[in-house]
Parts: sequence; structure tokens; C-alpha cells
Amino acid sequence: MTCERLYPFVAIVGQEKMKRALIFNIINPTLSGVLIRGEKGTGKSTAVRALAHILPKIQVVKDCPFNLEKEDPQGLCAECPRKECSSVVLSGGEPEKIWREIRVVELPVGATEDRVVGTLDLEHALKKGEKRVEPGLLAAAHRGILYVDEVNLLDDHVVDVLLDSAAMGVNTIEREGVSFSHPARFTLVGTMNPEEGELRPQLLDRFGLCVHVEGLRDVESRVTVMERRVAFDEDPEGFCKLWEEESRALVERIEKARRLYPEVVVDRNLLFEIASYCLDVGVDGHRADIIMLKTAKTIAAFEGRKEVVKKDIEEAAELVLPHRIRRQPFMDVVEDVRMVRSA
Amino acid sequence: MEALQRVYPFSAIVGQEKLKKALILNAINPSIGGVLIRGEKGTAKSTAVRALAALLPEIRVIAGCPFSCDPDNPSEWCERCKSLNPPLPVISRRIPVVTLPLNATEDRVVGSIDFEKAIRSGERHFHPGVLARAHRGILYIDEVNLLDDYIADLILDAAASGVNRVEREGISFSHPARFILVGTMNPEEGDIRPQLLDRFGLCVEVSGEEDLERRVELMVRREEFDNDPEGFSKRFESDNQSIAWSILAARELLPKVKIADHLRKFISDLSVENNVAGHRADIVMEQAAKALAAFNRRLHVTIQDIKEVAPMVLIHRRREAAPPPPPPPHQPNNEKDSEQNENPPNPPEAQSQNQPPPDVPQDPSRGEEKEPEPQAMGGEESEQRENPPEKEESTDYRAVLERVFEIGETFKVKKLSAPKDRILRRGSGRRSRTRTAQKQGRYVRSSIRGDGADVALDATLRAAAPYQLRRRSWGSTSGDLAVHLTTEDVRHKIRERRIGNFLLFLVDASGSMGAQGRMTATKGAIMSLLLDAYQKRDRVAMVTFRRNEAEVKLPPTSSVELAARLLRDLPVGGRTPLSAGLIKAYEVLRTVLLRDPTARPILIIITDGKANVSVGSKKPVEEALLVASRIAMDERIYPVVVDTEKQGIVQFGLARKLADIMQAPYFRVEDLKAESLVQIIKEVTR
Repeated sequence: MTCERLYPFVAIVGQEKMKRALIFNIINPTLSGVLIRGEKGTGKSTAVRALAHILPKIQVVKDCPFNLEKEDPQGLCAECPRKECSSVVLSGGEPEKIWREIRVVELPVGATEDRVVGTLDLEHALKKGEKRVEPGLLAAAHRGILYVDEVNLLDDHVVDVLLDSAAMGVNTIEREGVSFSHPARFTLVGTMNPEEGELRPQLLDRFGLCVHVEGLRDVESRVTVMERRVAFDEDPEGFCKLWEEESRALVERIEKARRLYPEVVVDRNLLFEIASYCLDVGVDGHRADIIMLKTAKTIAAFEGRKEVVKKDIEEAAELVLPHRIRRQPFMDVVEDVRMVRSA
Repeated sequence: MEALQRVYPFSAIVGQEKLKKALILNAINPSIGGVLIRGEKGTAKSTAVRALAALLPEIRVIAGCPFSCDPDNPSEWCERCKSLNPPLPVISRRIPVVTLPLNATEDRVVGSIDFEKAIRSGERHFHPGVLARAHRGILYIDEVNLLDDYIADLILDAAASGVNRVEREGISFSHPARFILVGTMNPEEGDIRPQLLDRFGLCVEVSGEEDLERRVELMVRREEFDNDPEGFSKRFESDNQSIAWSILAARELLPKVKIADHLRKFISDLSVENNVAGHRADIVMEQAAKALAAFNRRLHVTIQDIKEVAPMVLIHRRREAAPPPPPPPHQPNNEKDSEQNENPPNPPEAQSQNQPPPDVPQDPSRGEEKEPEPQAMGGEESEQRENPPEKEESTDYRAVLERVFEIGETFKVKKLSAPKDRILRRGSGRRSRTRTAQKQGRYVRSSIRGDGADVALDATLRAAAPYQLRRRSWGSTSGDLAVHLTTEDVRHKIRERRIGNFLLFLVDASGSMGAQGRMTATKGAIMSLLLDAYQKRDRVAMVTFRRNEAEVKLPPTSSVELAARLLRDLPVGGRTPLSAGLIKAYEVLRTVLLRDPTARPILIIITDGKANVSVGSKKPVEEALLVASRIAMDERIYPVVVDTEKQGIVQFGLARKLADIMQAPYFRVEDLKAESLVQIIKEVTR
């Protein structure tokens, strides 16, 4: 675990809902991401960056630009720009594999489309006269986390591209003389301040979970925030050490939950509970149901249980439904799901 | 490839029968011409398309042919296959499903010169594009309503003729390109262009399941699939097989299926009844009915077949099927409106979006219909109308002190867009198409002209490629580069993006607006304009005026939501300082123009024009008209006047005057409603 001067995840005061939502996504990447909405200075970005402390490890081909788990001689490797390893694969060999933490790739708001999806490798084309793909951020984010700060300010056509790949799990490049596609399944984590404009419903729906964060209200916790921040700024490494044990405990808990997840079962009655919840509050399509089931199972696994209980479903509903409740484009995103249902 | 193995089985999709039927019919009979799937999020749109492709039977192709030539149909072979000596090697393979990403560039869509080969051997080889790969397969466009117009035109061209003709970069080439066009769209994200709409043979609307039992089933299946894709797929293998088999059998049967004459007549009756444009509906309906009959293992089309396919054929072509507008309350207006749109040579809607940007502004046509002499306005007429407004105002003022009105019914609005020109702009949005000067925006094609900042390297290489052998033999120096470039090779990127316009709403919130529920209707109209602005990603600002002053309620922002919220709480009451409002609006516009001199803001003035407070010593109406004419002199601003005056016996027509003096398009609130889609199709396909 490297420290890299990042504030430790476990040292974040309060904001339990946000922390849990992020943890659930790490346990189960098929939850397809979380959107964190809230005012400035509420630890949104800090929390996402701090994830680096608690990320689990995955197996990848060493230095693979596409983060593949194993070689793929028929498909990607044949076209891979990284000749050192593709030549090994194509001659029937096995490339070196390593275990490393999954990556958090940050998509800057000003990113251009070609950097996001990938493009023609300029230098290579000029020097060698050959076509070669230069993979973009989506390739780097495969099997990892794609983090978009201020996602509501993202340029429109970049959003379209994101939607495209997030939906399909594949990024297809048909531009500037290159035709190419590679897998791009990532956990989309976005932060936004709703005061600066809302997200399009289409993109909202792609985020599996959604949490709303606010500044802490009680004096005591606010003081703790200040104290810890000051302590961290003065001596980051010492501060990280202080929290190392707790971080490790969390990592262990996450890894245990990952192993437990496939064994979690859901009672049929509870499945009906999920479906009727979605119908009652009124959502578009079925993504809400599916994500809610997954979230409930993930919660159970995180709590060390092998079966989902009613409480898990309540918690899942609060994370999954707020941004999905059918609304006119200008209505506010619902903050209290239970109220909508009982209404 | 890893990703492609994870296709959800077609037979495991719960519900969505219509969608599945439409896809199967197309697989049986490709001449139906594709499917457009419209619907809310998360309803298995994309899943179904991918699943279908995975299940379709394999096709026989000539080995090594990049265009998937059919060995049994020599007349359609490409040049290469024709030049080879038979017998040609034949292989079977899955039908291709080619996904067209939204950010595809022109060269990859139609194909282009293969610069790698050209550099090595100096020969011009054609490097096939997406259209070549989609031949005899499925061309799948997700979110088709977000596709760049230029690229969409290229695809339409090929889809219509079945041939892709390439004339570029010294290459002249054509190859067959027949494919099933499948598109998905979410109507929330804005509508699709009418020509593109008509091109899809069938259209199905999908929505989520309402039935609890099925929702649960769906959830469970999806979760099982995600946890164990292989095992899950195996379970549905035999069901998939049987669907594939019946598709194959139906294909065999299809050429033998007959349709009786009286049923043909029934089809054309249906088309006429539904007021569809052109004959494509009839043809598609017949083909679809035949495919359905074949699927049901019959040799004759029955009336039932036709009834089943008719909704899919007509829904997007029928007059009433256009985005269901609430029944228009003012019937006479609407009729007049539609007549207007069928006749004039320059319909604003048709041109503003669907044709290559003309250089002449076209929208003012409406405002100029009755252009009066500007001088006449300030003179006798304002004299005449000076008093009545004040009288009415005083009564209103007492009755309506300050109230917040509900937002009235919203509707689809007509297109308002600034005339196009050749200026390069900054910004992003979807209202007006423009060339962009920034290095952002979608790179769609390349050009030989440009300033050298934004070089299209791929195009440059393609341009230089054929000369490489010769240049190399001349031994021109180019360092360690493999490619010899000269300045005439350089190509520049043409990027295009819709820029959202800047819309400034100047809203009259005076007491006179409160009378007779007018503010409710007006708020409805503004809301509709805002909804439209949302879909087109416009930036908006709002200035209101009432009592003695004007106020910038909403400074320029891209958050249309904020504007909507403000609108909801906007109170009315007080007198009408129209000139103050106009001045304030102009101040806002001026700062916008200072920041971005290429912007062409649209100023939407929503008022009844009954000014009764002046800033200076002039009479209020006179002063307002004077200010308006000053603003109109600034050619960068594109004013629109929306008249909120109630139709009645006594009309002052002051807003009309305002529009005339500004030479601005003039609408009454009711006029803003968009016509049905069908009329637009008629205009553009003529």
C-alpha cells in the first residue's frame, strides 16, 4: 500500500453513505459506478482519490496498455502497439503477469475526445509510416475506476462517448484512419455540484448509485475534520501510518466480501419487494431493479452475511433510486426515496 | 475477443415481444429496411440487437474479400472478386454486426486510401470503411439521435442506394453496401432528423415491464448472467437454436409468399388513412407482412399479418404519431400554420437543420410578411395607442397586485435558430451547427485549407502516401522520418459541433400579464422554450421587468434547470417598464458579445408590448420602440418577439409593432407549437 501523500480513506470523518457507496462499488464492479452530488468542500474528491489506499489487487499482463487479465492472441494482442509483449504472445508464448491494485484514472474536464477514446499514434505514423493505435483513457480505465470530477461540466460530445462505452463495455474507434475496438469496462465515479447545472438523465442512469453529501452539521465532527486535516498536512506520512492498521482492516473486509458475494442468496419475497419498490416510485426501464438487487447482495456480503435481509434493500433503495425516479427534465433529483414511496 | 463473448442470449430476454419481432422480421427480410428502437433507458434495447446478431445463421462469403461478397451472386461482386479466376474459395462466417461509434470520422465510414500500403509500394489501395464491413450484416448505431449530421448523411446515401461510392484522395471506388440499419434512441435526448426517421423501415417503442412477476424474473436472469455468463448462455442454447432455425426456414419460404390484391389495397388504404408521406410505408408494410407470414410458416399473407406489422410501420410516419402534442386548443391557428408550411419556398424548419448551411438568413421570412414603414410607428399610431394601455393597466394593477402563476401546459416548440454563416465559433451545444475554431469538437473530415494549427495527420499521410516512392528516389531529405511530406500534403481538420445558442429571455412580468390567466400560458410557453433549450444545450439568461425597473433574474448560465426554477417562482404585478427591460437585456447581451465576439445570441422578448413606464421623458411606448430599433441595429443580435396579448376584439398589436421595428420574427404564444413531424418530412424529402 503506497501512501503518495493521499489522505487515508478511513480517516474521513462522517459521510458514511458516500464511503459505503464507494466501498460497494469496489466489492462489486458491476454496480457500474457512483455519482456523488454535493456542495463544495464536502470531501467528495478527497474520498475518491483516497480510494487508492483500499483498492484490491487484480491480475494483469505486465504493462499491458489495455489492462488485460490474460493474453488474447486472436483479438487485441495482434493489434497491440506494445510490440515487446505482443510479439511474445503471437509466437505462442506467455507474457509476464503481475498483481497490482486497480487503477483510478482521472478524466479531466477539458479532455479532448481523441485522448479519451484513443487515436492514431502520430509519432509512429511519421517515423515508420505505419498505422498504430495510441490507446486513450478508456483503455487505461478498463477494469479500474474512471473518475470524472465536475462531471456535469464535461463537454457534450465527450459525454456521448462515455455513454457509448459505459453502456457496451467496449470502446470502438473509427477515426483518423484507425479502426479498432477494445474492452472498456470501468466503474464510473463522478462528482458534481448541482448548483452548476444538472446532468442529462441518460448519463445519470449510467451511474449505478447516487449519494448526496452535505457539510457536517455538528460542531464536534467539524472540529475533528479540522484537526485531522491539519495533522495530515503537517506530516502526511506519519498521519498515514497512524491509520494504516484501520486501512488494512478495511481492505481485508472488502476482500472477504468479494469472495462472499457469489454465495449471497436472496429470498424470492425480497425480490418482489425490490420490483414493487421500483414500480411504486416510478423508474424508467429495468436498470434500477437489477442494480438494486446487486447492491443489496453487496451490502449483505460487506456485512458478512450470506443472505439479504429487508434492511439491505432499504439501504440499496436509498442509493439506487434517487436519481432514477422518473421526472421531468427540470425537477430536482429526489433526496428522500422513502417519502416518495409512501406518498 | 473477450468482450464479444459476453452476449446475453436472445431467447433469455424477458418481454419486449414487439422489439424481438421487429428484429426477427428484419433478419428474415432485409429489404424491410431496419428498425429504430425508441424508448426509455434500461429496456434491453442494445442487449436485444447484440443478442440477435449472435444468433443469426452464418453466411457464405468469398474468402479474403473485404466486402463480404456473396459467392452465389456474381453480378454484385466487387472489382477484386470479379478479377479473380473461379472457382473462388468460400468460407462461412457469422453475419457482421458493425457498431458505428458516435465519434466516427468520415474516412473510416466510407473508406479511404490505405496510406501504409501506399507508402510502402506506391500503389493506391482502398482501405474499406465501416460501410464495407457492414455489407450483408447489421449496421448498429446506438444513440442515433446524437450522430453527427454529416456522417448521418453519408450513411443515408449508402443505405438508400445500396452502394457506397468513394471519390476521394485520388481513389475512385464503389462497392455494394446493403445492410440492416438498426438504431436506438432515447427521445429525452432530443429528436431525430425526419429524413433519417423515414429511412428506418420499422419503429418500435419500448418501455419497462409493469408486471411484478416478470420484473423479478428479469432481475434474476440478469444477475445469473452476470455471475456466470457461460453457464447461463448454455441454458438458453436450445431456445436460441430454435429461433435461429425458424428464421432460416422463413428465409427459404419468403420468396414464395404471396399477397392477395385486396390485401395490397388494404395496405394502401391504411397508409392513406394515416396520412403518411411517400410510398415507403406501403412497400415496407408489404415486405414486413410477407416476412411475418413466412415466419408463421404460411405462404399467404393474411389480414392479421398486416394488422400486426402496421403499427411498427406507421408509428413514426403517421401524422398523429409525432411526439404526441396535447390537442391544439386553437384549431384555426394550427390549420393556418400548416398551410403556410406546405407552400412557401423557404420553410424555416426544413432549412435550418437539414440542409447544408445556406449563407442566406431565412428565418425573417415570417417577420417580413407585413413590413410597415418604421416611421409610421413612432408617429400617429403610438399616439393613438398611448392611452388605452394605461387604462387597462390601472384596472389590472388593482386586481392583480402580485401573484405567482402556475406554469401552463408545455408543448414542443418550433425551431428557433440563428442564420448560419462561415464564422468559426467557440462553445458547445446542439442548436446551430457551426464550424469550430477551437481544437475541440468532433473531427469529421479534412480539408486542404486551414491555418496550420490543427493538422489532420491521417489525411495528410493519405495525401502524401502515393508519392512516397518517387520522393524517396529523389532522395529528398526528411531526417529520420519514413514519410516524405511537403507542404502541399498538409490537410487540416474540420471539426464540427453544434453550438448551443445563447438565449436571453426578456420576460414581461407586469400586472397586465396577470390578466385572464395569460401569465400561466406564457409561463407554459417559456417552459417549452426552456425544455427545447435543454435538449439543444443552450446557454440561457433571464431578464424580467415590472413595476419601475428591470432586473437580471438569471445571469448567463448553462443551467437551464435554474432558469426553470426561477420561472416557477416568478411573480407578476406592477407596471410595464418595457424600455428599461430592453436596455437591461442589451447590457447583458453586450457583455456576452464582449466575451465572445462570434456569438450570435437570440433575444426572446416575451411581452404584450403595453409599455407604461419610461426611463426618460419620452412617452413609454415611443421610447420602447426607439430602444428596440437601436438594439435591432446591432446585427449580431437575433431578436424574436413572442406576443402574449390575448386574442380578442380589442387588440393593441403593440408587440407586433415591436417585432416589425426590430425586423424580428413574430409569434403569438400559440404559434410557437411545432407542427407535426410528417409535414416536416414532406418538406425535406420533396
